[in-house]
Amino acid sequence: MENRIEACLRELKQKNEKAFITYITAGLPDMDKTAQIIKAQESTDIIELGIPFSDPIADGPVIQQASYEAILAGSSLQKGFELMKRLRSEGVKKPIVFMLYYNTVVGCGLEKFVTECRESGVDGLIIPDLPLEEQEEIKEALKGDDTTILIELVSPVSKDRIPEILKDARGFVYCVSSMGVTGQDGSFHREVINYLTDVKKQSKIPVMMGFGIKTADDVRPMKDIIDGAIVGSHFIKLMRASGFDPKEAKRYSDEFKTELNSL
Amino acid sequence: MNKKAYYGEYGGQFVSESLMNTLDEIDRAFEEAIRDPEFIRQYHYYLKQYVGRETPLYFAERLSEKYGTKIYLKREDLNHTGAHKINNVLGQILLAKRMGKKKIIAETGAGQHGVATATGAALFNMECTVYMGKEDVKRQALNVMRMEMLGAKVVPVESGSNTLKDATNEAIRTWAKTAEDTFYIIGSAVGPYPYPKMVKEFQAVISREAKKQHMEAEGKLPDTVIACVGGGSNSIGMFADFIDEPGVELIGAEAAGKGIETKEHAASMAKGHPGILHGMKSYLLQDEDGNVQLAHSISAGLDYPGVGPEHAYLHDTGRAKYVPVTDVEAMDALMELTQTEGIIPAIESAHAVACALKKAKEMTPGQSMIICISGRGDKDVNTISDYLSGKGYLN
Repeated sequence: MENRIEACLRELKQKNEKAFITYITAGLPDMDKTAQIIKAQESTDIIELGIPFSDPIADGPVIQQASYEAILAGSSLQKGFELMKRLRSEGVKKPIVFMLYYNTVVGCGLEKFVTECRESGVDGLIIPDLPLEEQEEIKEALKGDDTTILIELVSPVSKDRIPEILKDARGFVYCVSSMGVTGQDGSFHREVINYLTDVKKQSKIPVMMGFGIKTADDVRPMKDIIDGAIVGSHFIKLMRASGFDPKEAKRYSDEFKTELNSL
Repeated sequence: MNKKAYYGEYGGQFVSESLMNTLDEIDRAFEEAIRDPEFIRQYHYYLKQYVGRETPLYFAERLSEKYGTKIYLKREDLNHTGAHKINNVLGQILLAKRMGKKKIIAETGAGQHGVATATGAALFNMECTVYMGKEDVKRQALNVMRMEMLGAKVVPVESGSNTLKDATNEAIRTWAKTAEDTFYIIGSAVGPYPYPKMVKEFQAVISREAKKQHMEAEGKLPDTVIACVGGGSNSIGMFADFIDEPGVELIGAEAAGKGIETKEHAASMAKGHPGILHGMKSYLLQDEDGNVQLAHSISAGLDYPGVGPEHAYLHDTGRAKYVPVTDVEAMDALMELTQTEGIIPAIESAHAVACALKKAKEMTPGQSMIICISGRGDKDVNTISDYLSGKGYLN
């Protein structure tokens, strides 16, 4: 069976649409709310679901705080799998990607982790502290079944590493817009256009940009290069400000997606 | 997999893609530097003229008599800035300069690495920012003041446990943002490759000297070498030249806090499982969900839930033995060394002393051991005083 992310992106390409992806921390403020927020976002193409970790070194203050609160509220990898099963049983067909740190995977046990991902309907994995050189084990464990795929990240300073990273990349390539951590408002890397152009030229799969994006207008300068945008920290801020209101999630998602495709 | 980044199954480079080219750049510059006689000459010049090396290998007469075996102390406490940390800082800062970096950042627990880094930054006129857990800022107020006097900016880190682990997270985040012009000086034998290797290289001077000094004094190698282990920088330096000497027993004292049967300890080898933190795979205190657990030790420098990857490897292969030492045992040993030899050790080093005095009871008069006194206790006087008044120790 075709991977759900790849199927979704193939359809978007046929429709000549850009993809919109949001990030939410699983269990913030609780799993019910997370489920409602995911379901409400009709216009969002792919959901990135953060499994909280105690030491999120690739995240800025917003997602750090979200992770901390979610852990205190009882969120965990196992609860994340339960949420996935529930969403799938309730008919959610949207691609969902787990964003998590490698210790969470190692703590679960690689084989068990991959089995649970496949069984619960996790379509992809973003592991920010697992660069190409350390991916051998997980790639081996994921081999032979397209249900769950590993998403590759590239950064503005990846340069000569890009071809190797893109070689067997699946789904989409996650282009980090700046060096450092998530949620640095409006401070894209000074070379961002050249860098995105470079990645796009070399990539056989769609190119998404994330880190520091708030509105569709933020990606106007690179609208002819990228195939979609990812919003994390800002989405969490919005959710928090609205008291985690699913209606606000829907409104933001509709608005962003419409604007993104009319830039 | 980058095989050379591993010690057995431990080590590696678990960092974001943004840092991979930086690590490669550091690795190449480091390998080149340590093969460049001029770099080595400079490094040794500063160790001798600025740090005051070599440090003595002091024969602890009264302790030796009391325990019926030969006890030598490697006096890293006599280094400029009061601990072994400066050895590594000077090596890394010379490397940073060689690489053309203008700014340096560091994490610190007890403040010793922060002070050493701020010192090096003052010496070489570099801009320095030190990340320190808010809890440690309180516990080590004197060191904060010293860093500020030296011109460093101290950033109190408020997240998680507010200690060394969190300071390291924040330093790594800042580094990922600024690596283009900033060098991150890691103080312990932890972090992504090549950091554990660099720290070992620059701390190996401890065992190179000690080996030679012991040969001169005793005409043979020591039977046992003991050092405390938090992240493991003084211990890897103290072990380095003895690892290939199978006759020398290597013992690391890890912090057992209130006891390894409680939840308040920092004994990652005794109670942890392999996991990923701060860019490396190693033993790690963690819960069933894979979240890192808070470490506890009366000593800020050992208050760390992980350990350097080479120590994990030495532990698994049995080459070194790691023994948990409680707060109480360490403080008793601290007082014993102070009153028997007139040397106030850092609380970190007192863990090694406690472990050594236990070991000494099994040894014969003809045998000898070296204890690494990694730092002096001046910075700990407030903690010691609180502890003693709490226990009524001096009454």
